[in-house]
Amino acid sequence: MTSVLLLVKISWRNLWRNPRGTLLTALALGLGLALLLISLGLLDGGHEQTIADGVRFGPGHVVIQAKGYQDSGSDELLLPAQVVSRIEEFLQTAVMKPVVRGVSPRLLATGLLSSSANSAGVRIMGVIPQDEPAVSFIPQRIVEGTYLSNGNPPGVVIGAELASNLEVKIGSRVVLMTQALRQPGIETKSRAGEEMQSTLLRVSGIFQTGLEAIDANIIQLPLSAAQTLLGVPGGQVTQVALLLQQEGDSPLVARALRKQLTGSPVEVLTWRESIPMLAQILGLDHAFNYIMNGVILAMVGLGILNTILMRVLERRYEFGVCKALGLRPRQLAVMVIGESLALTAISLALGLALGLSVEHYFANSGLDLRWVFRTGLPAALVFDPILYSRLSLNRIVWSVGIVFMMATIISFYPALKAARTELPDALKVL
Amino acid sequence: MMSGRLPHLAWRNLWRNPRRTLITMAAIAFGYTMLLFVACLMAGLRWQMIENGTCLVMSQIQVHAPGYYPNRSIQKTLGGRQGTDVSAMLAAITADRRVYAVAPRVYGYGLLSAAHRSAGVELMGVVPDREPRITILNGQIAKGNYLTARMPKGVVIGDKLASTIGIEVSSEIVLLTQAADGSMGNDVYTVVGIFHSGLDAVDRGLVLMSLSSLQELLHLAPARIHEVGIKLNDITAATAVAAGLQGQLDKTLPVRVMAWPELAPELASYVQFNRGITFVLFFIFFLLAVIGVMNTMLMAVFERTRELGMLMALGMRPIQVIVLILTEAAGLGVASLVVGGALSVPLLWYLQVHGLDLGGATGEVISLAGVVVGHLWYGRQDFPAYSEAALGLAATTLVSALYPAWRAAHFRPTEAIRQV
Amino acid sequence: MTFMCWQERSVAMFLGLALLSVAPMSHAADDQHTRETVERVARLFSSKSSIATLKMQISNEDGQRTLSMKIWSLGEKILVRITSPQDEAGTAILKAGSDIWYYLPKSNRTVKVPASMAMTSWMGSDFTIDDLVKETFLTRDYSISTFFEGKRGGVAVEEYTLTPKPEAAVVWGKIILQIRQADAVPTWQGFYDEDGQLVRELTFSEYKPMSGRLIPTRLVMRAADKAGAQTTIEYEDVAFDVPISVGTFSLPDLK
Repeated sequence: MTSVLLLVKISWRNLWRNPRGTLLTALALGLGLALLLISLGLLDGGHEQTIADGVRFGPGHVVIQAKGYQDSGSDELLLPAQVVSRIEEFLQTAVMKPVVRGVSPRLLATGLLSSSANSAGVRIMGVIPQDEPAVSFIPQRIVEGTYLSNGNPPGVVIGAELASNLEVKIGSRVVLMTQALRQPGIETKSRAGEEMQSTLLRVSGIFQTGLEAIDANIIQLPLSAAQTLLGVPGGQVTQVALLLQQEGDSPLVARALRKQLTGSPVEVLTWRESIPMLAQILGLDHAFNYIMNGVILAMVGLGILNTILMRVLERRYEFGVCKALGLRPRQLAVMVIGESLALTAISLALGLALGLSVEHYFANSGLDLRWVFRTGLPAALVFDPILYSRLSLNRIVWSVGIVFMMATIISFYPALKAARTELPDALKVL
Repeated sequence: MMSGRLPHLAWRNLWRNPRRTLITMAAIAFGYTMLLFVACLMAGLRWQMIENGTCLVMSQIQVHAPGYYPNRSIQKTLGGRQGTDVSAMLAAITADRRVYAVAPRVYGYGLLSAAHRSAGVELMGVVPDREPRITILNGQIAKGNYLTARMPKGVVIGDKLASTIGIEVSSEIVLLTQAADGSMGNDVYTVVGIFHSGLDAVDRGLVLMSLSSLQELLHLAPARIHEVGIKLNDITAATAVAAGLQGQLDKTLPVRVMAWPELAPELASYVQFNRGITFVLFFIFFLLAVIGVMNTMLMAVFERTRELGMLMALGMRPIQVIVLILTEAAGLGVASLVVGGALSVPLLWYLQVHGLDLGGATGEVISLAGVVVGHLWYGRQDFPAYSEAALGLAATTLVSALYPAWRAAHFRPTEAIRQV
Repeated sequence: MTFMCWQERSVAMFLGLALLSVAPMSHAADDQHTRETVERVARLFSSKSSIATLKMQISNEDGQRTLSMKIWSLGEKILVRITSPQDEAGTAILKAGSDIWYYLPKSNRTVKVPASMAMTSWMGSDFTIDDLVKETFLTRDYSISTFFEGKRGGVAVEEYTLTPKPEAAVVWGKIILQIRQADAVPTWQGFYDEDGQLVRELTFSEYKPMSGRLIPTRLVMRAADKAGAQTTIEYEDVAFDVPISVGTFSLPDLK
């Protein structure tokens, strides 16, 4: 027993006999861990962001709609008001609030937007001006004017392409014409002829997303104005879109909501169900990340191998002396392993410190990919060029664990070599 | 005086301690192989993404009359109101060796009606035996058949549209549209096939019909088409080929040739984003390589303190020591790259021919335009990336030898010799 | 899905064929005389029922087309039947309630047209189907002031400037309506955007007495920025307050 303790003490002191060498090696190993953490953070962040980018053009991570809306797309399918309030209440609870980043109830319909020069068929989105920016991209891509506010007359924001088709600018007069939504089972107070409803709007903002389908077709106006125009009783909307803090929570949130709303004629969909195309595009992205992780790990492992081997090879003389002084092979092996473990521990500490601080920087300020591009980018970049790192605790623990394991396993070989040091050769000076 | 023998000396020095040299070489070679592997996979991924985005309907390059896109006014046919010699144009484009296949298209917009239900639809007129060479919608038929020349009044519609209207294969439908002369073009057609693409907008709104039938419906003469769709042999050359075609075709009639990055900016955006991430990853790889190599070099130099001290005592100047060590590093680097490159050849070959099986490792599948194609991820050659990686690693090796070289040059010969 | 491709040069017009429908009284506090005059003009073509036979000539950069048609109206219901040219003869459009139906002789089918398509350029003209069905509320939506009184082209006219009321759902910055002083018939109408630019103009001429009223039988709608593009409507015969059976507007009889 004492011998083990003694060996441990010797191991530790061995490390510090050559402080520069030890620190250098520790730094090298630590850097490997740090880089692993940073790349994992960036890859995970990139993946998460790609998903967020995709869902923010549409129904968010999780969406609640009237049953059957996904298949039929019929504008007449609406969520009853009490369902909407139940959803909002539920999302305010202590368990849901930290998970959800944004909630946006929307009323969707089709109509005709006319200016003095032209008219165009449009997809109408009635939204709550304060809520929509947390979920959708459109409010952040305003290139002229301002986003919506609850003023009078209601403003409308339209896409840049639509604006040029209609030849309008900020403040221009436009008239939106729709047909009142006929809700199945609900008596509509129809005036004779059920004619089209028109409302005057002023263009308050023009947005540009880079996606023609959106810039030429979609308009957003305040939810209350849309409800009035479409003859929809207050409180009713087409869908409630949610943006979560983490994409990974989507299935859980969806399940919780479904449970809350059993019995109501609703459908709760995750983004994989509401935008299946996106899920498929991302499948490839996910596989890529998986493989990248493997490659990085392999390289880090190699780095560790290299480092430790180098360290041991240079100490043959030292081991020779130890053996000459009576240290048995097993004890020598234990000493070497002890050193490796201690060294690994120091390295991990260094690596964590370095890795986490850089990762933290990238998590907050992001990595601006724009300086990376030599050939320049398309004018209206659809996706956010700033990459934010996202590192979960899971990943950190996993990384540290793997590097530790690798270092430990790799150090067995040098330990063996040390144990087998041939005395006469080792003591040769040159 | 010594400079002539320096490389020779450097090379011998490397092999004085074969184990150390080999270990370092292995590190660099492996690093290079990894980089090539990643580059090849990435190129394959990019290709796959672009293919996914363009193979269904869009095709890779489109040729229009100037001003046609994006409003798609049916009057703006290629060659203006008189139209153009379509087969001559197609032949002119196919003459370019980079082009795989071409197909003419006509577009319209109208109302599809059956049994008192109707829906606004986009009409696309294609040539049934040309179109399948540039897009794959013909492979997505879920019920019935694709268009054939035998049934000019046949149409193929999406499954969502079919269910919304409540029709199926062999149902009769009416298409109503505003013809080119302003009159109400209309006619009766038969549904011959129903497709499922996975793209909601397409399944809900696209009606595929024969080009000549659509021209008739729109009151357009046979010489008037809206678009030529082009598929290339190498999808990544799209922008270059488009520019070339623009110059070539402009000589006969005004055209606007657009490659897929212009037609699908979100796809181009995503590809660029992916490139950005690869670059960052490469950078991290280089850093990892630096660690390994610098460490090795440092150890090596310290280990050779005595030897280098002796050399300096014998008259070698510090600058020569630096050059010596750098030359060693260079030799090491080049040798490692060669080895790494050689090792990667079978690996890259395997990636391109057999692909990486994703199903087992990650549970993911590859889908092409919404339809699952398989589990295999194929790589593609990316020679520019390969050479960039090589240059990067070579530079890294040299740079990481700089500090050790500088340290070595500052050894005091007398102390160095005494080192054990 | 969008209906963009249909809107070549369409704008929902608020006069022209819309004169065929009923316009109610407004409650604006304008000058009594001006209000009454404009009101009278707006009601020039309105009645509980009417049958009109007319020709529509559409000229634009693509060429020229002439259509002959007959229009029945009863309250909110409207039936249009095209009588010439040959390949379009027999086409019928029925609006009864909120739906619009087309009968297409070539396909021998009746098709329901969704409301949103009703707002597009009809037959390639400068009018839309909506003009057939939408009511104009000139006096409701606009404040009226007299702009000019005097002679234009040798004819004594009054010009009224119609400025939209703040909440009115109209796209125009202003409308100028020119009325012949002698018999209070419209001679010209200009539609301006908010910058004061003329966008469209409608010219009335060839006044004939029909069914007890003096009607401009020639209406020409022109877009200000497109030279040569115009649509001309010529009424050959208009009868007001004639008995029409409700059965005329039935769907099965559309053929």
